[in-house]
Amino acid sequence: MRMPYTLHPLTSLTAAGCTAVLTTAAGAWPLSLAVALAAVLLAVRAGAGQQVLVAASAVLLPLGLSLLMLHGLFFPEGRTVLAAWGPARVTAEGLAFAWESATRTGACVLVLLLFAFTVSTPDLVAALAGRGLPPQFGFVLASALTLLPAMAGRLERIRAAQEARGLVLRGGVLSRLAAVRLQMVPLVLGLIEDSGSRAEALDARGFGAPGPRTSYRQVADPPAQRRLRTTLLLITAAAVALRLVASWPAAGPA
Amino acid sequence: MSQQSLILPATGTGTGPGADCAAGTAKGRRNRRLLELAGAAAIAGTYVFLVLTQPADIANGPASFSALVALGGFLLGAVLLIAAALPVLPTSTLVLMPVALVLNVVLGQLMGSTGLPFYFDAIGTVLIAVLAGPAAGAATGALSSIVWSFFNPTVLPFAAGAALIGFLAGLAARGGLFRRFYLAPVAGFVTGILAGAVSAPIAAFVFGGTAGLGTGAVVSAFRAMGDTLLAAITKQALISDPMDKAIVFAIAALLVYALPRRTTFQFPFVRRHRVLAGKVPATPEA
Repeated sequence: MRMPYTLHPLTSLTAAGCTAVLTTAAGAWPLSLAVALAAVLLAVRAGAGQQVLVAASAVLLPLGLSLLMLHGLFFPEGRTVLAAWGPARVTAEGLAFAWESATRTGACVLVLLLFAFTVSTPDLVAALAGRGLPPQFGFVLASALTLLPAMAGRLERIRAAQEARGLVLRGGVLSRLAAVRLQMVPLVLGLIEDSGSRAEALDARGFGAPGPRTSYRQVADPPAQRRLRTTLLLITAAAVALRLVASWPAAGPA
Repeated sequence: MSQQSLILPATGTGTGPGADCAAGTAKGRRNRRLLELAGAAAIAGTYVFLVLTQPADIANGPASFSALVALGGFLLGAVLLIAAALPVLPTSTLVLMPVALVLNVVLGQLMGSTGLPFYFDAIGTVLIAVLAGPAAGAATGALSSIVWSFFNPTVLPFAAGAALIGFLAGLAARGGLFRRFYLAPVAGFVTGILAGAVSAPIAAFVFGGTAGLGTGAVVSAFRAMGDTLLAAITKQALISDPMDKAIVFAIAALLVYALPRRTTFQFPFVRRHRVLAGKVPATPEA
Protein backbone atom coordinates (compact mmCIF):
# COMPACT_ATOMS: atom_id res chain seq x y z
CA MET A 1 0.00 0.00 0.00
CA ARG A 2 1.88 3.11 -1.16
CA MET A 3 -1.16 5.32 -1.04
CA PRO A 4 0.27 8.85 -0.65
CA TYR A 5 2.28 8.47 -3.86
CA THR A 6 -0.89 8.71 -5.90
CA LEU A 7 -1.44 12.20 -4.48
CA HIS A 8 -0.10 15.25 -6.28
CA PRO A 9 2.78 16.67 -4.12
CA LEU A 10 0.92 19.94 -3.66
CA THR A 11 -2.17 18.06 -2.48
CA SER A 12 -0.26 16.24 0.23
CA LEU A 13 1.58 19.47 1.15
CA THR A 14 -1.72 21.34 1.41
CA ALA A 15 -3.30 18.52 3.40
CA ALA A 16 -0.38 18.34 5.85
CA GLY A 17 -0.11 22.12 6.26
CA CYS A 18 -3.88 22.61 6.67
CA THR A 19 -4.10 19.77 9.21
CA ALA A 20 -1.27 21.31 11.24
CA VAL A 21 -2.88 24.77 11.18
CA LEU A 22 -6.36 23.37 11.98
CA THR A 23 -4.95 21.43 14.96
CA THR A 24 -3.22 24.57 16.23
CA ALA A 25 -6.37 26.67 15.73
CA ALA A 26 -8.57 24.14 17.53
CA GLY A 27 -6.21 23.80 20.50
CA ALA A 28 -8.06 20.77 21.91
CA TRP A 29 -6.05 17.75 23.01
CA PRO A 30 -8.53 15.04 21.91
CA LEU A 31 -8.33 16.36 18.34
CA SER A 32 -4.51 16.64 18.54
CA LEU A 33 -4.27 13.05 19.77
CA ALA A 34 -6.59 11.80 17.00
CA VAL A 35 -4.56 13.66 14.35
CA ALA A 36 -1.29 12.24 15.72
CA LEU A 37 -2.67 8.66 15.72
CA ALA A 38 -4.05 9.09 12.19
CA ALA A 39 -0.66 10.36 10.98
CA VAL A 40 1.11 7.34 12.51
CA LEU A 41 -1.41 4.92 10.93
CA LEU A 42 -1.04 6.55 7.50
CA ALA A 43 2.76 6.47 7.83
CA VAL A 44 2.70 2.75 8.66
CA ARG A 45 0.38 2.06 5.73
CA ALA A 46 2.69 4.02 3.41
CA GLY A 47 5.69 1.98 4.57
CA ALA A 48 7.39 4.95 6.26
CA GLY A 49 6.27 4.17 9.79
CA GLN A 50 9.71 3.47 11.20
CA GLN A 51 11.35 6.55 9.65
CA VAL A 52 8.56 8.85 10.83
CA LEU A 53 8.54 7.41 14.35
CA VAL A 54 12.33 7.58 14.74
CA ALA A 55 12.49 11.19 13.49
CA ALA A 56 9.45 12.19 15.58
CA SER A 57 10.74 10.64 18.80
CA ALA A 58 14.12 12.36 18.35
CA VAL A 59 12.22 15.67 18.32
CA LEU A 60 9.34 14.99 20.68
CA LEU A 61 10.98 13.11 23.56
CA PRO A 62 13.30 15.96 24.68
CA LEU A 63 10.50 18.50 24.10
CA GLY A 64 8.00 16.44 26.09
CA LEU A 65 10.39 15.89 29.01
CA SER A 66 11.32 19.59 29.02
CA LEU A 67 7.63 20.61 29.06
CA LEU A 68 6.85 18.13 31.84
CA MET A 69 9.70 19.42 34.00
CA LEU A 70 8.94 23.08 33.27
CA HIS A 71 5.15 23.16 33.67
CA GLY A 72 4.79 20.09 35.87
CA LEU A 73 6.97 21.55 38.63
CA PHE A 74 6.82 25.32 38.14
CA PHE A 75 3.51 26.87 37.11
CA PRO A 76 2.94 30.07 39.13
CA GLU A 77 -0.54 30.50 37.58
CA GLY A 78 -1.66 27.09 38.90
CA ARG A 79 -4.22 26.98 41.74
CA THR A 80 -4.90 23.27 42.29
CA VAL A 81 -1.74 22.14 44.09
CA LEU A 82 -1.27 18.37 43.99
CA ALA A 83 2.13 18.22 45.71
CA ALA A 84 4.81 20.67 46.80
CA TRP A 85 8.51 20.40 47.61
CA GLY A 86 9.97 23.77 48.53
CA PRO A 87 9.66 26.09 45.51
CA ALA A 88 8.45 23.28 43.22
CA ARG A 89 4.67 22.80 43.12
CA VAL A 90 2.92 20.17 41.01
CA THR A 91 -0.35 21.76 39.88
CA ALA A 92 -3.21 20.31 37.87
CA GLU A 93 -3.20 23.39 35.59
CA GLY A 94 0.52 23.00 34.91
CA LEU A 95 0.18 19.32 33.98
CA ALA A 96 -2.80 20.12 31.75
CA PHE A 97 -0.82 22.91 30.04
CA ALA A 98 2.15 20.56 29.41
CA TRP A 99 -0.20 17.87 28.04
CA GLU A 100 -2.03 20.35 25.74
CA SER A 101 1.24 21.81 24.39
CA ALA A 102 2.88 18.42 23.88
CA THR A 103 -0.09 16.86 22.05
CA ARG A 104 -0.53 19.92 19.82
CA THR A 105 3.16 20.01 18.83
CA GLY A 106 3.21 16.22 18.50
CA ALA A 107 0.30 16.21 16.06
CA CYS A 108 1.88 18.93 13.90
CA VAL A 109 5.30 17.23 13.89
CA LEU A 110 3.86 13.81 12.96
CA VAL A 111 1.68 15.20 10.16
CA LEU A 112 4.54 17.22 8.63
CA LEU A 113 6.99 14.29 8.94
CA LEU A 114 4.43 12.03 7.23
CA PHE A 115 4.44 14.49 4.32
CA ALA A 116 8.26 14.82 4.29
CA PHE A 117 8.92 11.08 4.26
CA THR A 118 6.26 10.11 1.71
CA VAL A 119 6.62 12.92 -0.86
CA SER A 120 8.87 12.43 -3.87
CA THR A 121 11.32 15.34 -3.87
CA PRO A 122 11.69 15.58 -7.71
CA ASP A 123 7.89 15.66 -8.08
CA LEU A 124 7.59 18.33 -5.41
CA VAL A 125 10.26 20.50 -7.06
CA ALA A 126 8.64 20.09 -10.49
CA ALA A 127 5.21 20.93 -9.06
CA LEU A 128 6.53 24.03 -7.27
CA ALA A 129 8.36 25.28 -10.38
CA GLY A 130 5.16 24.75 -12.38
CA ARG A 131 3.32 27.06 -9.94
CA GLY A 132 5.63 29.99 -10.74
CA LEU A 133 8.08 29.68 -7.86
CA PRO A 134 11.59 30.83 -8.79
CA PRO A 135 13.54 27.87 -10.25
CA GLN A 136 16.36 28.77 -7.86
CA PHE A 137 14.16 27.66 -4.94
CA GLY A 138 13.68 24.23 -6.45
CA PHE A 139 17.42 23.93 -7.09
CA VAL A 140 18.38 24.81 -3.52
CA LEU A 141 15.72 22.51 -2.03
CA ALA A 142 16.51 19.48 -4.19
CA SER A 143 20.26 20.03 -4.01
CA ALA A 144 20.29 20.26 -0.22
CA LEU A 145 18.05 17.23 0.23
CA THR A 146 20.29 15.08 -2.01
CA LEU A 147 23.54 16.53 -0.62
CA LEU A 148 22.64 15.69 2.98
CA PRO A 149 22.91 11.88 2.74
CA ALA A 150 26.03 12.18 0.54
CA MET A 151 27.65 14.36 3.20
CA ALA A 152 27.62 11.61 5.84
CA GLY A 153 29.67 9.40 3.52
CA ARG A 154 32.08 12.24 2.80
CA LEU A 155 32.62 12.95 6.49
CA GLU A 156 33.24 9.23 7.04
CA ARG A 157 35.98 9.22 4.34
CA ILE A 158 37.61 12.36 5.78
CA ARG A 159 37.69 10.80 9.23
CA ALA A 160 39.16 7.56 7.88
CA ALA A 161 41.84 9.55 6.03
CA GLN A 162 42.72 11.62 9.11
CA GLU A 163 42.78 8.52 11.31
CA ALA A 164 45.18 6.92 8.84
CA ARG A 165 47.39 9.98 9.42
CA GLY A 166 47.30 9.49 13.19
CA LEU A 167 44.15 11.34 14.35
CA VAL A 168 42.90 10.04 17.69
CA LEU A 169 39.19 10.55 18.43
CA ARG A 170 39.48 10.31 22.22
CA GLY A 171 40.77 12.25 25.17
CA GLY A 172 39.74 15.54 26.73
CA VAL A 173 37.76 18.45 25.35
CA LEU A 174 40.81 20.12 23.79
CA SER A 175 41.97 17.08 21.83
CA ARG A 176 38.41 16.41 20.70
CA LEU A 177 38.07 20.02 19.53
CA ALA A 178 41.33 19.63 17.61
CA ALA A 179 39.91 16.47 16.03
CA VAL A 180 36.75 18.36 15.02
CA ARG A 181 38.90 21.07 13.40
CA LEU A 182 40.88 18.46 11.46
CA GLN A 183 37.62 17.12 10.03
CA MET A 184 35.75 20.39 9.52
CA VAL A 185 38.35 22.28 7.50
CA PRO A 186 38.74 19.61 4.75
CA LEU A 187 34.97 19.17 4.65
CA VAL A 188 34.19 22.88 4.23
CA LEU A 189 37.05 23.44 1.80
CA GLY A 190 35.98 20.50 -0.37
CA LEU A 191 32.35 21.62 -0.40
CA ILE A 192 33.21 25.20 -1.40
CA GLU A 193 35.60 24.02 -4.12
CA ASP A 194 32.90 21.69 -5.46
CA SER A 195 30.31 24.45 -5.51
CA GLY A 196 32.66 26.65 -7.55
CA SER A 197 32.92 24.07 -10.32
CA ARG A 198 29.19 23.37 -10.07
CA ALA A 199 28.48 27.07 -10.63
CA GLU A 200 30.57 27.07 -13.81
CA ALA A 201 28.83 23.94 -15.10
CA LEU A 202 25.37 25.35 -14.33
CA ASP A 203 26.12 28.71 -15.91
CA ALA A 204 27.45 27.00 -19.04
CA ARG A 205 24.04 25.29 -19.30
CA GLY A 206 22.08 28.54 -18.99
CA PHE A 207 21.00 28.22 -15.36
CA GLY A 208 21.14 31.99 -14.81
CA ALA A 209 19.46 32.81 -18.11
CA PRO A 210 16.12 34.67 -18.01
CA GLY A 211 12.90 33.42 -19.56
CA PRO A 212 10.52 30.52 -19.03
CA ARG A 213 11.73 26.97 -18.28
CA THR A 214 10.30 23.68 -19.41
CA SER A 215 10.38 20.65 -17.16
CA TYR A 216 11.17 17.08 -18.17
CA ARG A 217 8.94 15.90 -15.38
CA GLN A 218 5.19 16.18 -15.74
CA VAL A 219 3.17 15.55 -12.57
CA ALA A 220 -0.46 14.60 -13.12
CA ASP A 221 -2.83 16.97 -11.31
CA PRO A 222 -6.41 15.62 -11.48
CA PRO A 223 -9.19 18.25 -11.18
CA ALA A 224 -10.61 16.42 -8.14
CA GLN A 225 -7.39 17.03 -6.21
CA ARG A 226 -7.41 20.71 -7.23
CA ARG A 227 -10.93 21.04 -5.83
CA LEU A 228 -9.83 19.21 -2.68
CA ARG A 229 -6.94 21.66 -2.20
CA THR A 230 -9.23 24.68 -2.64
CA THR A 231 -11.73 23.23 -0.16
CA LEU A 232 -9.02 22.50 2.40
CA LEU A 233 -7.57 26.00 2.10
CA LEU A 234 -11.03 27.58 2.47
CA ILE A 235 -11.85 25.46 5.55
CA THR A 236 -8.49 26.31 7.13
CA ALA A 237 -8.87 30.03 6.40
CA ALA A 238 -12.33 29.94 7.96
CA ALA A 239 -11.07 28.11 11.05
CA VAL A 240 -8.20 30.56 11.50
CA ALA A 241 -10.54 33.54 11.07
CA LEU A 242 -12.98 32.02 13.55
CA ARG A 243 -10.24 31.44 16.13
CA LEU A 244 -8.82 34.95 15.69
CA VAL A 245 -12.25 36.57 16.08
CA ALA A 246 -13.25 34.37 19.01
CA SER A 247 -10.01 34.91 20.96
CA TRP A 248 -9.46 38.59 20.15
CA PRO A 249 -10.92 40.15 23.31
CA ALA A 250 -9.30 37.53 25.55
CA ALA A 251 -5.93 38.28 24.00
CA GLY A 252 -6.05 42.00 24.74
CA PRO A 253 -3.63 43.54 27.24
CA ALA A 254 -4.60 42.79 30.80
CA MET B 1 17.73 47.48 5.78
CA SER B 2 20.26 49.74 4.22
CA GLN B 3 20.45 50.86 0.65
CA GLN B 4 23.64 48.90 0.12
CA SER B 5 22.05 45.56 0.88
CA LEU B 6 20.46 45.67 -2.55
CA ILE B 7 23.62 46.23 -4.52
CA LEU B 8 24.57 43.00 -6.15
CA PRO B 9 28.12 41.85 -6.48
CA ALA B 10 29.17 40.95 -10.00
CA THR B 11 29.28 37.19 -10.40
CA GLY B 12 32.67 35.65 -9.90
CA THR B 13 32.42 32.82 -12.35
CA GLY B 14 30.76 33.88 -15.57
CA THR B 15 28.30 36.73 -15.16
CA GLY B 16 24.76 35.42 -15.11
CA PRO B 17 22.75 37.39 -17.64
CA GLY B 18 19.56 36.68 -15.73
CA ALA B 19 20.87 38.22 -12.56
CA ASP B 20 22.01 41.33 -14.37
CA CYS B 21 18.73 41.62 -16.23
CA ALA B 22 16.63 41.33 -13.08
CA ALA B 23 18.91 43.54 -11.04
CA GLY B 24 19.46 46.13 -13.69
CA THR B 25 15.96 47.53 -14.08
CA ALA B 26 15.02 50.22 -11.61
CA LYS B 27 11.54 48.76 -11.28
CA GLY B 28 12.82 45.32 -10.34
CA ARG B 29 15.12 46.89 -7.77
CA ARG B 30 12.27 48.88 -6.24
CA ASN B 31 10.02 45.81 -6.09
CA ARG B 32 12.72 43.82 -4.33
CA ARG B 33 13.29 46.64 -1.86
CA LEU B 34 9.55 46.72 -1.15
CA LEU B 35 9.54 42.94 -0.61
CA GLU B 36 12.51 43.21 1.77
CA LEU B 37 10.89 46.02 3.73
CA ALA B 38 7.57 44.14 3.86
CA GLY B 39 9.36 41.03 5.15
CA ALA B 40 11.19 42.98 7.85
CA ALA B 41 7.97 44.82 8.77
CA ALA B 42 6.05 41.52 9.04
CA ILE B 43 8.66 40.10 11.44
CA ALA B 44 8.98 43.25 13.56
CA GLY B 45 5.19 43.84 13.60
CA THR B 46 4.47 40.26 14.64
CA TYR B 47 6.98 40.50 17.48
CA VAL B 48 5.56 43.79 18.82
CA PHE B 49 1.98 42.51 18.49
CA LEU B 50 2.77 39.27 20.33
CA VAL B 51 4.49 41.06 23.20
CA LEU B 52 1.69 43.63 23.55
CA THR B 53 -1.19 41.14 23.40
CA GLN B 54 0.37 38.26 25.33
CA PRO B 55 -2.30 36.38 27.26
CA ALA B 56 -2.47 37.55 30.86
CA ASP B 57 -3.46 34.14 32.16
CA ILE B 58 -2.14 31.03 30.47
CA ALA B 59 -3.85 28.74 32.96
CA ASN B 60 -6.75 28.32 30.51
CA GLY B 61 -4.52 26.33 28.17
CA PRO B 62 -2.01 27.10 25.43
CA ALA B 63 -2.75 30.26 23.47
CA SER B 64 -3.96 29.17 20.03
CA PHE B 65 -4.48 32.80 19.09
CA SER B 66 -0.87 33.81 19.76
CA ALA B 67 0.44 30.60 18.17
CA LEU B 68 -1.45 31.32 14.94
CA VAL B 69 -0.29 34.95 14.86
CA ALA B 70 3.33 33.92 15.54
CA LEU B 71 3.31 31.20 12.88
CA GLY B 72 1.62 33.35 10.26
CA GLY B 73 3.56 36.56 10.80
CA PHE B 74 7.04 35.09 11.10
CA LEU B 75 6.61 32.64 8.20
CA LEU B 76 5.23 35.41 5.98
CA GLY B 77 8.27 37.56 6.82
CA ALA B 78 10.69 34.73 6.04
CA VAL B 79 8.96 33.92 2.73
CA LEU B 80 9.03 37.59 1.68
CA LEU B 81 12.75 37.82 2.47
CA ILE B 82 13.44 34.68 0.41
CA ALA B 83 11.35 36.02 -2.48
CA ALA B 84 13.26 39.32 -2.38
CA ALA B 85 16.76 37.83 -2.32
CA LEU B 86 16.65 34.48 -4.11
CA PRO B 87 15.88 35.33 -7.76
CA VAL B 88 18.72 37.86 -8.07
CA LEU B 89 21.55 35.98 -6.36
CA PRO B 90 24.38 35.10 -8.76
CA THR B 91 24.87 31.42 -9.55
CA SER B 92 28.16 31.28 -7.64
CA THR B 93 26.31 32.28 -4.45
CA LEU B 94 23.28 30.12 -5.20
CA VAL B 95 25.30 26.89 -5.41
CA LEU B 96 26.81 27.74 -2.01
CA MET B 97 23.39 27.79 -0.33
CA PRO B 98 22.77 24.02 -0.33
CA VAL B 99 26.32 23.65 1.01
CA ALA B 100 25.50 26.06 3.84
CA LEU B 101 22.25 24.24 4.66
CA VAL B 102 24.10 20.93 4.85
CA LEU B 103 26.88 22.51 6.94
CA ASN B 104 24.29 23.83 9.41
CA VAL B 105 23.05 20.29 9.95
CA VAL B 106 26.30 18.31 9.74
CA LEU B 107 28.52 20.71 11.73
CA GLY B 108 25.76 21.03 14.30
CA GLN B 109 25.81 17.26 14.77
CA LEU B 110 29.63 17.14 14.76
CA MET B 111 29.81 19.79 17.48
CA GLY B 112 27.13 17.86 19.34
CA SER B 113 29.52 14.90 19.47
CA THR B 114 31.94 16.97 21.56
CA GLY B 115 29.33 17.04 24.33
CA LEU B 116 29.24 20.84 24.68
CA PRO B 117 25.85 22.31 25.68
CA PHE B 118 25.25 24.57 22.63
CA TYR B 119 23.29 24.18 19.39
CA PHE B 120 25.68 25.57 16.72
CA ASP B 121 23.04 25.30 14.00
CA ALA B 122 23.95 28.52 12.18
CA ILE B 123 27.61 27.99 11.22
CA GLY B 124 26.83 27.50 7.52
CA THR B 125 24.52 30.53 7.48
CA VAL B 126 27.17 32.80 9.03
CA LEU B 127 29.84 31.41 6.68
CA ILE B 128 27.73 32.27 3.60
CA ALA B 129 26.87 35.69 5.04
CA VAL B 130 30.59 36.48 5.48
CA LEU B 131 31.46 35.29 1.96
CA ALA B 132 28.41 36.57 0.04
CA GLY B 133 26.70 39.35 2.01
CA PRO B 134 23.56 40.09 4.07
CA ALA B 135 20.93 39.25 1.41
CA ALA B 136 22.47 35.84 0.75
CA GLY B 137 22.81 35.29 4.51
CA ALA B 138 19.16 36.09 5.19
CA ALA B 139 17.93 33.86 2.36
CA THR B 140 20.23 31.05 3.50
CA GLY B 141 19.00 31.27 7.08
CA ALA B 142 15.33 31.14 6.11
CA LEU B 143 15.80 28.39 3.51
CA SER B 144 17.88 26.40 5.96
CA SER B 145 14.93 26.26 8.35
CA ILE B 146 12.62 25.12 5.53
CA VAL B 147 14.92 22.31 4.38
CA TRP B 148 15.68 21.25 7.97
CA SER B 149 11.96 21.04 8.70
CA PHE B 150 11.86 17.99 6.40
CA PHE B 151 13.60 16.13 9.24
CA ASN B 152 12.59 18.27 12.24
CA PRO B 153 9.39 20.29 11.67
CA THR B 154 9.83 22.22 14.93
CA VAL B 155 12.57 24.43 13.39
CA LEU B 156 10.19 25.78 10.72
CA PRO B 157 8.63 28.56 12.88
CA PHE B 158 12.14 29.85 13.72
CA ALA B 159 12.85 30.72 10.05
CA ALA B 160 12.56 34.47 10.73
CA GLY B 161 15.14 34.30 13.52
CA ALA B 162 17.52 32.32 11.28
CA ALA B 163 17.10 34.93 8.52
CA LEU B 164 17.88 37.69 11.03
CA ILE B 165 21.10 35.90 12.06
CA GLY B 166 22.25 35.62 8.43
CA PHE B 167 21.39 39.25 7.70
CA LEU B 168 23.19 40.61 10.78
CA ALA B 169 26.24 38.40 10.11
CA GLY B 170 26.43 39.85 6.59
CA LEU B 171 26.17 43.41 7.94
CA ALA B 172 28.94 42.66 10.46
CA ALA B 173 31.15 41.28 7.68
CA ARG B 174 30.55 44.36 5.52
CA GLY B 175 31.34 46.59 8.48
CA GLY B 176 34.75 44.94 8.76
CA LEU B 177 34.07 43.13 12.05
CA PHE B 178 35.64 39.94 10.65
CA ARG B 179 38.95 41.74 9.90
CA ARG B 180 39.96 41.51 13.56
CA PHE B 181 39.49 38.10 15.10
CA TYR B 182 38.39 39.41 18.51
CA LEU B 183 35.58 41.50 16.97
CA ALA B 184 33.74 38.51 15.42
CA PRO B 185 32.49 37.07 18.76
CA VAL B 186 31.36 40.58 19.77
CA ALA B 187 29.24 40.81 16.61
CA GLY B 188 27.92 37.33 17.36
CA PHE B 189 27.00 38.33 20.90
CA VAL B 190 24.92 41.31 19.70
CA THR B 191 23.30 39.16 16.98
CA GLY B 192 22.42 36.57 19.61
CA ILE B 193 20.61 39.16 21.75
CA LEU B 194 18.36 40.21 18.85
CA ALA B 195 17.84 36.67 17.52
CA GLY B 196 17.04 35.34 20.99
CA ALA B 197 14.47 38.06 21.61
CA VAL B 198 12.74 37.36 18.26
CA SER B 199 12.68 33.58 18.83
CA ALA B 200 11.34 33.68 22.40
CA PRO B 201 7.64 34.30 21.51
CA ILE B 202 7.71 31.28 19.16
CA ALA B 203 9.05 28.99 21.87
CA ALA B 204 6.54 30.39 24.36
CA PHE B 205 3.35 30.48 22.26
CA VAL B 206 3.84 27.77 19.60
CA PHE B 207 5.60 25.11 21.69
CA GLY B 208 4.80 26.22 25.24
CA GLY B 209 8.43 25.75 26.28
CA THR B 210 11.91 24.98 25.00
CA ALA B 211 13.07 21.88 23.15
CA GLY B 212 16.08 21.00 25.31
CA LEU B 213 16.31 19.84 28.91
CA GLY B 214 19.17 22.25 29.72
CA THR B 215 17.32 25.30 28.42
CA GLY B 216 14.15 24.00 30.08
CA ALA B 217 15.93 24.00 33.45
CA VAL B 218 16.91 27.67 33.01
CA VAL B 219 13.32 28.58 32.11
CA SER B 220 12.09 26.63 35.15
CA ALA B 221 14.34 28.70 37.40
CA PHE B 222 12.81 31.96 36.12
CA ARG B 223 9.29 30.51 36.34
CA ALA B 224 9.97 29.54 39.97
CA MET B 225 10.61 33.24 40.62
CA GLY B 226 7.14 34.02 39.29
CA ASP B 227 7.91 35.30 35.76
CA THR B 228 5.36 34.93 32.95
CA LEU B 229 6.20 32.23 30.41
CA LEU B 230 7.24 34.75 27.74
CA ALA B 231 9.43 36.68 30.19
CA ALA B 232 11.08 33.49 31.47
CA ILE B 233 11.82 32.19 27.96
CA THR B 234 13.08 35.61 26.82
CA LYS B 235 15.48 35.73 29.78
CA GLN B 236 16.65 32.18 29.05
CA ALA B 237 17.21 33.13 25.37
CA LEU B 238 19.17 36.21 26.48
CA ILE B 239 21.43 33.92 28.51
CA SER B 240 22.09 31.14 25.98
CA ASP B 241 21.73 32.75 22.54
CA PRO B 242 24.41 35.51 22.74
CA MET B 243 26.96 32.97 24.04
CA ASP B 244 26.03 30.45 21.34
CA LYS B 245 26.18 33.02 18.53
CA ALA B 246 29.49 34.46 19.79
CA ILE B 247 31.01 30.97 19.51
CA VAL B 248 29.36 30.35 16.12
CA PHE B 249 30.73 33.64 14.73
CA ALA B 250 34.20 32.76 16.08
CA ILE B 251 34.03 29.29 14.46
CA ALA B 252 32.90 30.83 11.16
CA ALA B 253 35.81 33.31 11.35
CA LEU B 254 38.25 30.45 12.05
CA LEU B 255 36.87 28.51 9.07
CA VAL B 256 37.04 31.50 6.71
CA TYR B 257 40.67 32.14 7.65
CA ALA B 258 41.50 28.42 7.40
CA LEU B 259 40.30 28.39 3.79
CA PRO B 260 42.91 29.24 1.16
CA ARG B 261 42.90 32.93 0.16
CA ARG B 262 42.48 31.82 -3.47
CA THR B 263 39.06 30.46 -2.47
CA THR B 264 37.82 33.24 -0.21
CA PHE B 265 38.93 36.12 -2.41
CA GLN B 266 37.08 34.75 -5.43
CA PHE B 267 33.89 36.09 -3.81
CA PRO B 268 33.08 39.61 -5.06
CA PHE B 269 31.53 40.59 -1.70
CA VAL B 270 34.79 39.72 0.10
CA ARG B 271 36.89 41.73 -2.38
CA ARG B 272 34.61 44.74 -2.64
CA HIS B 273 34.05 45.35 1.08
CA ARG B 274 37.48 44.11 2.23
CA VAL B 275 35.75 41.67 4.58
CA LEU B 276 38.90 39.80 5.60
CA ALA B 277 42.25 40.97 6.90
CA GLY B 278 45.16 41.04 4.48
CA LYS B 279 45.62 42.56 1.06
CA VAL B 280 43.25 41.79 -1.79
CA PRO B 281 45.19 39.77 -4.35
CA ALA B 282 46.25 42.06 -7.20
CA THR B 283 44.76 39.88 -9.93
CA PRO B 284 41.55 38.33 -8.67
CA GLU B 285 40.42 35.23 -10.46
CA ALA B 286 38.02 35.97 -13.25
